Amino acid sequence: MTVSTDYTAQEIIVVAGAKILENNKIVFVGTGLPMVASLLAIFTHAPGLIPVFEAGAVGPPLKHGLPISVGDSKTFTGASYVKGLNAAFELTQRGYADYGFIGGAEVDMYGNLNSTMMGDFPAGYNKPKVRLPGSGGAADMAASCERTILIVPHDKKKFNQKVSYVTSPGYLDGSPDARYKAGMQGKGPYRVITTKGIFDFEEKTKRMRILNTFPGETIASIQENTGFELLVAPNVTEFPAPTVEEVRLIREVVDPNGVFVKRAAK
Amino acid sequence: MKDKRMTLKEAVSRFVKPGDNVGIGGFVNIRQPIATCHEMIRQGFKDLTLSFQSAGMAPELLAGAMMARPDHCSIKRIELAYWGHEAFGLAQAWRYLTERSMIEFEDWSNHNMSARFKAGAMGLPFIPSRGPLGGDIKNTSRTKIMDCPFTGRPIALLPASHPNVALIHVQAADMYGNCIIRGTDATCAEIAMASAHTIVTCEQLVSHELIVSEPKDVMIPFPAVDAVVHVPFGAYPGACRRHYYFNGDAIREFVGNIAPMVKGGSADGLKAWYDANVFGVETFADYIEKFSNKKLIADQLAEAYHCERLA
Repeated sequence: MTVSTDYTAQEIIVVAGAKILENNKIVFVGTGLPMVASLLAIFTHAPGLIPVFEAGAVGPPLKHGLPISVGDSKTFTGASYVKGLNAAFELTQRGYADYGFIGGAEVDMYGNLNSTMMGDFPAGYNKPKVRLPGSGGAADMAASCERTILIVPHDKKKFNQKVSYVTSPGYLDGSPDARYKAGMQGKGPYRVITTKGIFDFEEKTKRMRILNTFPGETIASIQENTGFELLVAPNVTEFPAPTVEEVRLIREVVDPNGVFVKRAAK
Repeated sequence: MKDKRMTLKEAVSRFVKPGDNVGIGGFVNIRQPIATCHEMIRQGFKDLTLSFQSAGMAPELLAGAMMARPDHCSIKRIELAYWGHEAFGLAQAWRYLTERSMIEFEDWSNHNMSARFKAGAMGLPFIPSRGPLGGDIKNTSRTKIMDCPFTGRPIALLPASHPNVALIHVQAADMYGNCIIRGTDATCAEIAMASAHTIVTCEQLVSHELIVSEPKDVMIPFPAVDAVVHVPFGAYPGACRRHYYFNGDAIREFVGNIAPMVKGGSADGLKAWYDANVFGVETFADYIEKFSNKKLIADQLAEAYHCERLA
């Protein structure tokens, strides 16, 4: 396996996301990089992955390639069950989704995710500094999937002690049984994938913990770029750089038009 | 059953009133009621509330019209889960209006909004859901949290949504308003049933006999519909299953007229777009005519490839 020397930050996120997905699991897939990672997983180690898209398609083979939207025809052709939004979220609320795979702009140490607004909350809710698209289905996935996998670009300003707005709840304030007490189901965030590494959550404190560093990063360099104190897993390892073959699959097969994975400037 | 066929001009002037809550069908840029939005902008609208789960071009066109021609078009409030264009970028009008505090809005999730329409469709005042528990949606919306009287666990109650008028684009309808939807149902049937009035635009206007040959395919039943308008390409430049895939260039081009305004730029480009494509034409068909046949056929072929089937 030759290691790629020109992979991009988005490409290693996609490879990490794909590797975390297990074959034959039901994964509720959000728009953007989660779709790319799911498709890469299907093309590599997880041909039996069962994607669920919030627009209402369950288990499509995705033979026509990467969807541009979670509701477009590519997510519906060949699907086993084809309905609308209520059906997709009802089966998730019933507990059928093993994983929810979502992206966000900002995250805190308990895996609470923001995709609503940047600015002063609650005072500035009606006049945000930057208004983001909003929850979409992410809040529902966070409240009802058995586990969630989060993708967040790593930036000191985006890994905050407190997020501007909790769109998709993680472990809330980290107190014991906080999710259950709030009425949610599912165990909560399972992994966070960033541009610098892979993180999990320490069982007792529910705090984010470094699990793998990406090549070129160290525990110290990651901590330096994080706005809260990270815990460190007992055996932190380096996540291997994507192989030439993985990068080729992303560029030529999974997202050949660069719809979600931006091409590096030559 | 009554023949509900009419022009889009007539449908909009009869069923969209100042101050209305307008329910928007489709999902992001799929099967959005684009033609109806164009006609609403031509006629002008005032103090609307827009209600949708995830939307792209439909609110972007309506809000862009408010930015270009505030004397002619205005939106007061938006109840939504997501406004953006997925791979085609952020909704710049959403940023413009909120960052300048020009509209009221209420954030929900996709299931929250879909369940709110479902409650409306069921004739019930509210619906329980787990979606808003835990996060800030419950703090910024009308969500009520209560302990379930049966299990004792917290559960969120969401108010039903009852738009005054629903705008729905479908693949096929008959003259009475029986509708068939392909691909994602989105939340269209719920929105139509929950609303006081529904304007349906369709790619194909077919005989009643054909529609009822597979009666279980009827997604929206005739009593929920007030106007049926035959509008090929009615969701373009968004996608419509079995008919056409996205014209991403046209979506990016339109949003590109709004983006500079977020940073304080002038409205000239946006005004010119509306003058050329909405105010300067009589009907949506005139707008579609501006695209090259080559491009329209390419988008039809892309979609035909995604849903391979014998004619």
